Amino acid sequence: MIEFQSVSKKYSADALALNDVSFNIAKGELVYLAGPSGAGKSTLLKMIAAVERPTSGRVVVNGHDIGRIKRAGVPFLRRNLGVIFQQQRLLNDRSILANVMLPLVVTGAARGQAEQRARAALDKVGLLDRANALPLELSGGEQQRAAIARAIVNRPQIILADEPTANLDRAAAGRVIDALRAFNSVGVTCMISTHDEQILDSGARVIRLEHGQLVEGAV
Amino acid sequence: MNIWFRQHRFALGAAFAQVRKAPGSFLFNVLVVAVALALPFAGVTLLDNVRPMSEQLSVDPEISLFMKTDAPREQAQALAPQLRQILASSRAKVSFVPREQALDNLKTRSGLGDVIETLGDNPLPDSYVMKLEGFTSRADAARVDGIAEQMRALPGVDSVQVDSAWVKRLAALLGVLRLVLLLLAITLGVVVIAVVFNTIRLQVLTQRDEIAVSKLLGATDNFIHRPFYYTGALLGLCAGAVALGAVSLALRPLNAAIAEFARLYASEFQLSALPPLGLAGLLAISAGLGLVGAMLSVQRHLARLN
Repeated sequence: MIEFQSVSKKYSADALALNDVSFNIAKGELVYLAGPSGAGKSTLLKMIAAVERPTSGRVVVNGHDIGRIKRAGVPFLRRNLGVIFQQQRLLNDRSILANVMLPLVVTGAARGQAEQRARAALDKVGLLDRANALPLELSGGEQQRAAIARAIVNRPQIILADEPTANLDRAAAGRVIDALRAFNSVGVTCMISTHDEQILDSGARVIRLEHGQLVEGAV
Repeated sequence: MNIWFRQHRFALGAAFAQVRKAPGSFLFNVLVVAVALALPFAGVTLLDNVRPMSEQLSVDPEISLFMKTDAPREQAQALAPQLRQILASSRAKVSFVPREQALDNLKTRSGLGDVIETLGDNPLPDSYVMKLEGFTSRADAARVDGIAEQMRALPGVDSVQVDSAWVKRLAALLGVLRLVLLLLAITLGVVVIAVVFNTIRLQVLTQRDEIAVSKLLGATDNFIHRPFYYTGALLGLCAGAVALGAVSLALRPLNAAIAEFARLYASEFQLSALPPLGLAGLLAISAGLGLVGAMLSVQRHLARLN
């Protein structure tokens, strides 16, 4: 489902974000992307979402070669991804419901259908009763769960979560990880980046990066 | 088709939402653009009113031949074959105007019927009016003068007038006015585009986060661009409507002043607003200019965000 073949990413001559990284992730896997800040985790996730393109090597996501995908094809690739950011990046001028509806709205879904599915997604993360609240009226953990609802509302094949538990207390972080595990249990491929070793599952696969190099988890 | 329609409806809704967020700023921009549009719109209205008058006036040379007042009708009518012979190499329409008809025309057209009635005898001579076609160049003008000279030598002829120069001058003046108006419209059109360009630039900057998030959620470029296009077109449309309203309002005091002036020439000339099709055309042009400004701005500033 996700394939990295000798991938390197240089932002400038002396800024090598990823160095010869290779791994495969199968459909339905739950993978933690671990490593300290600056290890290249965000760059790697950005490549999967086609925000960045590799300087060398090959990244294949859902059969699409990210290095060769045309600009017009990128939105359609992203519609099969659920992206969760470290800073939730909810739009503060509209309700949680409107935020969660956004991935459906951009695909041209009918409003009624989008609202129904957004409410269902909010129900899954336990936020249905806060649907009409504005993002800033929610706690950090609730905002992150709202971001998860937004990521899964489109029924994506892959969820990418970039430090989803950063800035959350232990209990809130646990709820966020539980929610992601629940989606993985129904067949969604999940890739969760973290620098917090405590949230790593003992049984789950870990891909570890240090200074842009893969040091653990290549398969 | 449904998806296409829904996305356009969403974009229009987003454009209106943007206006609702900052109505004062939108209104200010509408006024700035309206001021820029009002001048060419006023010019178009003026030309539209003057054009029918100028079209009624022929720019083809017209030769009027007046017989001596004491020349008998038979002598005047006998000139017709000679005139046709002189005009043999030209396309011309020759009309004989008997003195009675000339008097009637004078009474009805001048508005001085009562005064003319007091004259008693008809002071006007029999005459011929000859309209020449296809005489447009300077060389043609010399030919016309030559023709007039030959006619002056005919028996019983009192005078011959070549009557086209002032009509040509008026046509040339209108041509210059049209050109000035076109240049003015182009200049102010650029101003409109620049104002909309800047307005949309600010909107793109304030919505940077929303754009970035939407792109990561799978929004296409068209989806992101459309609300800005609608905002630009809406701005142009509203400004066009305000400008046309201002021109219509300005016609009232202008017409009051024109009425005074026209009365001196026994005319009832009044400026009127453009017909509905013309108004719709100007509104479409305004919206189009707004759209062009928005498109240029979006292409430039979103490319930077990308």
